[in-house]
Amino acid sequence: MTGYPEGYTSPRPEWTTGRGLYNALARRADVAAKYFAMFLLDAGGLAALWLLVTYAYAWYVLGITAYILVPWWVFALGVVEGAILWESLGRSWGQKALGRELTPVSGEATAIRRLLYFVLWNLFGLTGIGFVLVPPLHERWSGLGLRRERPSSQAPVPWYRTSAGLFVAVLLVVTLVSALGVTLTWESLRRLFTQAGQTVEFWRALVRPDTTILLDAMRDMIVTVFMAVLATLFAVAVSVPLSFLAARNLMRGPVGRPIYTILRGAMSIARSIEPIVWAIIFLVWVTALRSPFAGILALWVHSIADLVKLYAERLEAIDQGPIEAITATGAGRLSVLRYAIVPQIVNPYISFTLYRWDINIRMATVVGLVGGGGIGQRLINYIWGVQYRQAGTVMILIVILVWAIDYLSARLRAKLA
Amino acid sequence: MPTPYLVIDGLTKVYERGQVHALRGLSFSIEKGEFLVVIGLSGSGKSTLLRCINRLIEPTEGKIWLDGTDVTRLSAKRMRRVRRRIGMIFQQFNLVDRATTVRNVLTGRLGYIPGWRSLLGLFSSQDKQTALANLERVGLRDKAYARVDELSGGQRQRVGIARALMQKPEILLADEPVSALDPATSHSIMQYLEQMNRQDGVTVIASLHFLSLARRYGTRIIALKDGQLVFDGPPKTIDNAKFKEIYGEDAEEVEVR
Amino acid sequence: MSPTPGGAGAPRDRLKVLSRRAFSFLLDWMAWGYVAYCVMYLLNYYWYTVHVDWWGTLTLPSWGWPVVILATLELAVWCRSLGRSLGQRAIGVALRPVAGERISVGRRVLRGFLWHLSVPLAPVWIARGEEPLHDRLTQVGLRTETPDPERPGRRAILTQWGFVSLFLGALTMCVGWLIIGINLQVLIRRAPQAGRIWGEMLRPDFRYFTAPDPVFHLRALSYSILDLTVVTVFMALVATVLGGVMAFPLSFLGARNVMGFSPAGWATYGVIRGFFNVFRSIETIIWASIFAIWVGYGTVLAGILALTIHTIAALGKLYSEQVEGVSPGPLEAVWAAGGSRIQVVRHAVIPQVLPSFWAFTLYRWDINVRMATVIALVGGGGIGDMLFYYKNQGDWSKVGAVVMVIVAVVWAMDYISGRLRERIA
Repeated sequence: MTGYPEGYTSPRPEWTTGRGLYNALARRADVAAKYFAMFLLDAGGLAALWLLVTYAYAWYVLGITAYILVPWWVFALGVVEGAILWESLGRSWGQKALGRELTPVSGEATAIRRLLYFVLWNLFGLTGIGFVLVPPLHERWSGLGLRRERPSSQAPVPWYRTSAGLFVAVLLVVTLVSALGVTLTWESLRRLFTQAGQTVEFWRALVRPDTTILLDAMRDMIVTVFMAVLATLFAVAVSVPLSFLAARNLMRGPVGRPIYTILRGAMSIARSIEPIVWAIIFLVWVTALRSPFAGILALWVHSIADLVKLYAERLEAIDQGPIEAITATGAGRLSVLRYAIVPQIVNPYISFTLYRWDINIRMATVVGLVGGGGIGQRLINYIWGVQYRQAGTVMILIVILVWAIDYLSARLRAKLA
Repeated sequence: MPTPYLVIDGLTKVYERGQVHALRGLSFSIEKGEFLVVIGLSGSGKSTLLRCINRLIEPTEGKIWLDGTDVTRLSAKRMRRVRRRIGMIFQQFNLVDRATTVRNVLTGRLGYIPGWRSLLGLFSSQDKQTALANLERVGLRDKAYARVDELSGGQRQRVGIARALMQKPEILLADEPVSALDPATSHSIMQYLEQMNRQDGVTVIASLHFLSLARRYGTRIIALKDGQLVFDGPPKTIDNAKFKEIYGEDAEEVEVR
Repeated sequence: MSPTPGGAGAPRDRLKVLSRRAFSFLLDWMAWGYVAYCVMYLLNYYWYTVHVDWWGTLTLPSWGWPVVILATLELAVWCRSLGRSLGQRAIGVALRPVAGERISVGRRVLRGFLWHLSVPLAPVWIARGEEPLHDRLTQVGLRTETPDPERPGRRAILTQWGFVSLFLGALTMCVGWLIIGINLQVLIRRAPQAGRIWGEMLRPDFRYFTAPDPVFHLRALSYSILDLTVVTVFMALVATVLGGVMAFPLSFLGARNVMGFSPAGWATYGVIRGFFNVFRSIETIIWASIFAIWVGYGTVLAGILALTIHTIAALGKLYSEQVEGVSPGPLEAVWAAGGSRIQVVRHAVIPQVLPSFWAFTLYRWDINVRMATVIALVGGGGIGDMLFYYKNQGDWSKVGAVVMVIVAVVWAMDYISGRLRERIA
């Protein structure tokens, strides 16, 4: 075409085209990401260890709560350099977690080579320059490379002989030591062994429940059950349509994907706030006089968040076969929804709803504790009124209720499956 | 004349619920060093017979004499001591998928180890050496520390064989060892069994589906039908008419190469 | 002749059929009882002259209770005889004649009357292994319904059962609405106040994130939000470790396949499973209220003990279900090699269940962190102390800061434990 004879022109290098360049860069970015993940694991591990050791030291020796005890830049420098040093030694915890080991490409792994690796990591690894080449510069010039771990014919090195294993062990011990130190006090331990008598009235309720409060407690239990039922029903009405908007496989394109992301994010935030906290907010909103109303609103919000997640995950797992088949007949989007998707999800949806109803019964009792009405409110009133025998009686009723609903919902779900 | 090595006398097994007779008064005896192949249709009682010998299933009636002791009357503790002389390999391999190969092989040693040591998982270094040697023998030394769920079917059955070897068995029960495998792998597994039989003098009792494999490897064949013995003799004497009798009229012999 | 309910057959089958009949009858009775309750509630609410409290006090004279109970019983009996019974439908049976096509209305009515004679005589016909007297005398029986392939069913919503369920649903909605006191007007009228709270919470005050808040003391020390967050995560950690360590051995005692079928095995299994079920159905926060009385209000130990107890029960149940689901092959192999019961557990069961044990434990840690954030409400300690303190002060922007930290921690825990569980599985 250009008029030159065959073999005279060289083919255009791959990286000069847009796509080729993109591919080459993406490949290098992948490699760099792997190295940085390893580095982050090491640095994060060291940071966690540092924090915990300082925390335990400050707690036991200085009697205060403190986290690093040194200027922040000393901490940062120490963690970063420590992680790089650890990686140059060959078997760090990050390398172990990704199943790699630093071994010489040829010859011996001398101290000089390791030192070189350490310096080069600082110069080219941290700055990101070294990742222009594959394998990266610091590996090339030090003659060390990350290899897959031992072949399966070799016995693995026992954990107490590797730095990664020892590190995890030390981390666990320090965590437990500081956790126990911070959470336990001698005073409370002493009370644990001497003050059991304080609860004797609760246990007395087991043998001699207070029957005079039974009728009132039953009425409150009815309120609790109604709260759970209505909260679940209202939540279903909202979350079924929302679940279609929160399913990754149904929401594609420039409009769909943002909706999906926002919805899933909002739901996951709403889910990580406990119903009790929701109840507090709603109690202020609707005034404490209408407390079961506040309780049901709290349950409703939390149920929506939970159900949308469960429903959407089920939608994402549906079989694509029927959708293809129905689409192939030339059906529209709504017909596909009705005949390919809905039949696959009806039973799981019902089963998730029953499950959520079961949880809502438990939650309705808990929400009552902050003033959300129902049996929980009666319980907390008895406890704060030091009427422990009555409180014990109410607890027995709650156990029976929760147990019965648990059994019922499990039986129904087993039937649906 | 000395008594035979293993004598089975009037063995009967009835499963209580459905009144199913798995074995009906089965009697035969085996000499030491034989390679006995049990053939028969599915449900003819092959698995029940093998499991009755090491009493994984309690026989309803009848006696089993192993080397002069009545296995059916032993206490649970004495039975454990007998069991460690009896190796067993299974159709579905029965390995712990999540553990390494060498761990699985070491479980063959459990009958010899006192309770508290096995609880901590402390196997002696000699046991570990033996386990590696046995893996070497079945050609899996390079997979010793791989997890079992990474192995193929044939490799798993070889792990099963290595586990049985750990017991230093006098007798090996093989419950359809190759029916989950393809023909080529089947032969390699059967060759390991044959090798154990010839070199170590282990008495082998194997149940098989394919007559061709039975003819090739067995020194003696017995056939079961509805829990009864319908044939007992050397492999050569089993002819087409006999075959039809065992497997029913419509059966066609399949060659496994 | 197919075996008829309550008819001849092994005593065990007969008992099973009878209990199914009793169950379906109970369902009918309960359905009518529910309708009666709702109707009475509505009557009370709208027409009774005495004010009905918002929590739904049901006022009925003392003689009213037997009347209602008997009336609902009668309604259930006649429903069943006349062939429009929810309970019969639920277990998939219907009233059919022994011979012939249809049952005349007279026979149905007769059956209703005979029922009252027949039930007191129940021990007699049960002992003689006969059909119930009222069925025998009217020549009918309860048969399993099989859908007729010739006549395709109508759309579920258009059948009488569809109407019944719609009616029950609407009744539930009405009564529930009144009992709970749902009032949308309040929600709208007070929206400005709520808006103020939300506004303050969304402008969080992170002043005391790392600096200890001097107003807020516990145990003679001032805490910052960060300090208490760390304490909360530690609480969950200690509870999970303690709970897991205790649930581990118990779970084997609560597994059917490990315990065997001896009487002692059954007894242990029953006791352990019962313990798991009872202790699991009391929420952590209720446990915390007991322990707060025991070891002191506001001590972290109370929260840890509450979380631990609930963790033992919940993890024990999950663990023992895993143990029951192990594949029996490796067990058989260890038996065959001469292993003892303990060796079977150690070398065939534990290797199989350990990964899922880890997964459940991580999941439990995640749940415990959530729980630990609110357990302070009843005196369990942790970050909730701060949350409820600021809320009582009405300092909503600090509440907002605490809630945001809680959300971040719970979210992070959820993500990390999810990722780890994926890797383990």
